[in-house]
Amino acid sequence: MPEEIGEKARSRFVTILRRRDAQLLIAILLMSAIVDVMRPQFLTSSNISFMLAGSVVLMVVGTGQMMVIVTRGIDLSVSPILGIAAIAIGFPAQNHNLNILVAVVLVILIGFALGIGNGLLVTVAGIPPIIATLATLSVYGGLQFVFTSGLTVITLPHDYVAVGLEDIVPGIPWLILIGAGVVIMAELFLKFTPWGRAIYAVGNNADAAFRSGIPVRRILFMTYIICGVLAGVAGFVYLCYIGSADSTTGSDTNTNLMSIAATLIGGTSLLGGRGRPLGTALGAVFLSVADTAIVVLRILPIWEPAGVGVLILLAVVTDRQSGPAVRRALRTRHHAEVVP
Amino acid sequence: MSANPAGVESAGMPVDLSADRRGRASIDQVWVWVLVLLLALELLYFSLTATGFWGGGKGMLTASSEFLDVSVMALGLSLVIFAGEIDLSIGAMASLVGIVMAQLWHVEGLNIWLATLIALVMAAGLGALNGFIVAKFGIGSLLVTLATQFIFSSVATAVGGESPPYGFPRGFLTITGTGSIGPIPADLIIFAVLALFIGLLVSRTRAGRSLVLTGHNRLAARYSGVNVSRTLIWAFTLSALFAGIAGIMIAGVYNAARDDVGIPLLLPSVTIVVLGGVDIFGGKGRVSGVIIASIIIGYVTVGLLDGGSTPLTATMVTGIVLIIGLIIKISLDRRAGIAFRDALARFLARQHLGKAPVAPDA
Repeated sequence: MPEEIGEKARSRFVTILRRRDAQLLIAILLMSAIVDVMRPQFLTSSNISFMLAGSVVLMVVGTGQMMVIVTRGIDLSVSPILGIAAIAIGFPAQNHNLNILVAVVLVILIGFALGIGNGLLVTVAGIPPIIATLATLSVYGGLQFVFTSGLTVITLPHDYVAVGLEDIVPGIPWLILIGAGVVIMAELFLKFTPWGRAIYAVGNNADAAFRSGIPVRRILFMTYIICGVLAGVAGFVYLCYIGSADSTTGSDTNTNLMSIAATLIGGTSLLGGRGRPLGTALGAVFLSVADTAIVVLRILPIWEPAGVGVLILLAVVTDRQSGPAVRRALRTRHHAEVVP
Repeated sequence: MSANPAGVESAGMPVDLSADRRGRASIDQVWVWVLVLLLALELLYFSLTATGFWGGGKGMLTASSEFLDVSVMALGLSLVIFAGEIDLSIGAMASLVGIVMAQLWHVEGLNIWLATLIALVMAAGLGALNGFIVAKFGIGSLLVTLATQFIFSSVATAVGGESPPYGFPRGFLTITGTGSIGPIPADLIIFAVLALFIGLLVSRTRAGRSLVLTGHNRLAARYSGVNVSRTLIWAFTLSALFAGIAGIMIAGVYNAARDDVGIPLLLPSVTIVVLGGVDIFGGKGRVSGVIIASIIIGYVTVGLLDGGSTPLTATMVTGIVLIIGLIIKISLDRRAGIAFRDALARFLARQHLGKAPVAPDA
């Protein structure tokens, strides 16, 4: 009997270990511990909250990106949406002391509108997502430049700065609350609402979803709008956190590729139908911790992109679904699946 | 994968790679003519509005050397897209090749042509590595090349150091950048040779047919004896090699190697290939379309920049051109007689096969 219980406990343990979020959590803790041994000031509470706050922008954009990738799409226009949102509230805030709550409503509306653009191109015009959002990346990027007319937001009212830098209660910064709020809401939406479930259904098999009565196009449309809204909110977070914005905000930090990286490291499959906001959030935290570790260990920052690249490859190779596919592809030559 | 390709492809759409059975021009051919018309209109517009653009044809030719590096990149990329894959690493590759060539010449003191050769061989090797990972491990090329893009750009920055070399020998600059034979810039000659090579490769050789078939229907390609892995590997190899040549051309035009010049060229390259009529899911399109589209996009950019617009405005116009072009192309597809039912089938197939079924029939 005790052996059986041991067996059960072990298999449950193995199941947990197979989950990407568990693997990531272990990786984050392990990396932090190693760096802390080498540089003892690494795991102070202020540095931990600094690293978490630094991941919030990526966390919020990544959550939207994740939903789009779950439907087998991709959104390459999140970086200009983030940038447009940041400057659209940044200038009124700087010059006319725009109320911060109005600013939040404004970024949501901007994200909504720009998301509609993507949704129309993908679902109504029938352009493949990677091309449609590539086109809107150029168009929105141009709009962002036109809106700034070459100016930069440099000073912000106090309440914006407070959201970016201060704690809501001692030890918990505002930013972490925002990030956690977005991730929890996304988890609940995807897990418990019919529309959220439909996103997974469309991603798994659009044909089957269509035949079982899911309005596939409407769901896709909605996904691009959500992604746009979250990119807009990320623009607000960015503005508060960094304290400035200009015509290249969003693009200069490589938001598109980093959000895709966080999503993929977080266990979302590019083949669609699989992925969770929690994993994406941990992916963002992982990237932020790695970023800080690079600085603390005095590694040249130019190697950071290479590290991200290696991480993406690792994330895919260790993926529990593509792993077996790799082995199958190697074994059978003539009956191998068509790789999408 | 739970997808059932047979279920979709039996929806009454014959497999047809070029023209339909009645010998009528296929959409691909019509599209090439649409592009030619667009190019003619565009050249007319700029000749009438921009001073010095016409100049008896000379201004136009000289201006072409400002964008031909992107065109070369797009040519290589089109091979990968023909095969139904994507290569995001070409921008970083162009920077890397320029930097490696310059450092071999500057630090190691090699002859500049030898340095160029070594850098291009390196590019081909890294491209083959991309292709190998995609083909042998079945990992999506979007992922693989996203990752290698990050790696290549880090390496480029590291190799380049704080102040990458500049001021190359005159002979090098004449051939790769600023020189010309009569009114024809050297860049244009390089581009023409490469374009001819790719055009013949895709339409006239066994390897080219294998490539298009691989993108069209990978399973069918495999069953008809095409070595899909090898095809993918050489497609990625050539894509990286062409990106490398573009990197050398950029170094020649600017007379300097920099680690950040290549990456902004990635998106215009993809735009060119798609506007050129190559199906992003592979297996359909014409090289001639890509060539013309690259010239259209190039002159739009140069024309706008010369007219005093900012680079970002030019990018925006490129994006709008892409959207309008695609909407025209998709409506052409519909006119060619796909019923709404078939359009829906294509839409669904696209969603879950990651690849559209093929040429419409009346």
